[in-house]
Amino acid sequence: MGLLDKYSAFPERHKTILQGGHDPFNVTIDQVKSATEVVINGRDVIMAGSNNYLGLTFDPDCIEAGRQALATHGTGTTGSRIANGTYSGHQSLENNIAKMMGCASALVYPSGYQANLGVIAALAMKGDTILIDADCHACIYDGCLMSGATIVRFRHNSPEDLDRRLQNMDGEGSNKLIIVEGLYSMFGDIAPLKEFVEVKKKHGAFLYVDEAHSLGVFGDHGRGLAEQEGVSQDVDFIVGTFSKSLGSIGGFCVSNHAEFPYMKFTSRPYMFTASISPATIGTVNAAIEKIEKHPELREKLWSNAKRLHEGLQAAGLKLSAPASPIVSVEMSDEEHAIASWNRILNEGVYVNLAIPPGTPNSKSLLRSSISAAHTTAQIDQITAAFKKVLRPNPDSHIDAPQTGLVSATPE
Amino acid sequence: MVTQETDDLVFHKTCDLLKPYNKKNIALTMDTDIATELEIDSVAILDLIMEIEDIYGISIPMNLMADIRTIGNLVRAIHDLGGNK
Repeated sequence: MGLLDKYSAFPERHKTILQGGHDPFNVTIDQVKSATEVVINGRDVIMAGSNNYLGLTFDPDCIEAGRQALATHGTGTTGSRIANGTYSGHQSLENNIAKMMGCASALVYPSGYQANLGVIAALAMKGDTILIDADCHACIYDGCLMSGATIVRFRHNSPEDLDRRLQNMDGEGSNKLIIVEGLYSMFGDIAPLKEFVEVKKKHGAFLYVDEAHSLGVFGDHGRGLAEQEGVSQDVDFIVGTFSKSLGSIGGFCVSNHAEFPYMKFTSRPYMFTASISPATIGTVNAAIEKIEKHPELREKLWSNAKRLHEGLQAAGLKLSAPASPIVSVEMSDEEHAIASWNRILNEGVYVNLAIPPGTPNSKSLLRSSISAAHTTAQIDQITAAFKKVLRPNPDSHIDAPQTGLVSATPE
Repeated sequence: MVTQETDDLVFHKTCDLLKPYNKKNIALTMDTDIATELEIDSVAILDLIMEIEDIYGISIPMNLMADIRTIGNLVRAIHDLGGNK
């Protein structure tokens, strides 16, 4: 097979996807009017697929903090953290995120992707075993591959399957690192963290939780699912991102392990890339303060999420999980998903189209991510767009007997 | 006494699991390339592996995936991991 032969099937599939009208994986946003309103192809569209959970991207205080940092410290650092790229702002950001998360120390990366890549590869090595939930994000898989450790995948959200696999490995003597996420990005379901902690303790393993989608969403301080479940102290490493609830760009890891800060001398995606810009530091620091001082943002987020979930459920659509800020409608197949996605966009609502292999269990999804900045009227407009384009299909049988719901097909 | 399942039996069980993915209904042999001939995407292959792991009570590390291209490669991996018992 030639070097580029693996791409031979791409033009045909892309052409098929384009037949629906818009290119779902190359939507260009011409103008961003607010955290929830954008202009696409000259038309006003409600943004319901942004992961902007707390709606902070246009918060005046965050913008002002970014503006001040930009004016004071310049446009970029032009260097890596281990050379000229560590400013006092980077240190204060690491202190602030550690304090917010209630942990001893933090490392900050230029993106959430790099945080997972960098921390996993710095933690585990050949001879160690990493056990990952089957639905973990691509960057977790990539970090595992980069580490050189043995990688074992266990059934999604199944502490029993994890336990069985660890049991079979007892006596091997290798270090075991378990990796799960808090809130899963595609289906919007959450991990049974308490049960995973029990399995971790039983087998003397380490537990690593990616709170990318759950930071700012769960817990009294917005620290994530581990806080809500009361297991923060039992999680060895928590990774998160600045690009969702915090409305900026960057990633981090926090831990109480005394050795953790030294990872900055081994973690290649920390060492060999330029550090985040001063403006980014400014906006993230301001956003952390918002999470701490404004719990009402979380309350509004959940109120919006529940309203959309209830509305779509009442419309007879099959949803992937109980209410959370990620609400995914399961479609009967990829073709219907693409056609429906186009029609919903034509109704003035942008949601995410998710199709295999980017989804678990080869499912095709129309995924909404809800923001605290959505108005109740906007939530109702999103619901109305789904209802106009999709109808319950009694002939479709995806889990229908269990849930009483049905999957969606276009009218 | 534990008896080992023959590779032939493992092959037939694996073929049964592959049936739902064999949309073109091609004849399956030890040399069939799982990804290209059956056109199974990368995530679906991982799910298939998980079903096999359940049946044989083993864990097939993802590190081995690069070397598992054909049904024969898969049968050999199950054998090497002591799963054909």
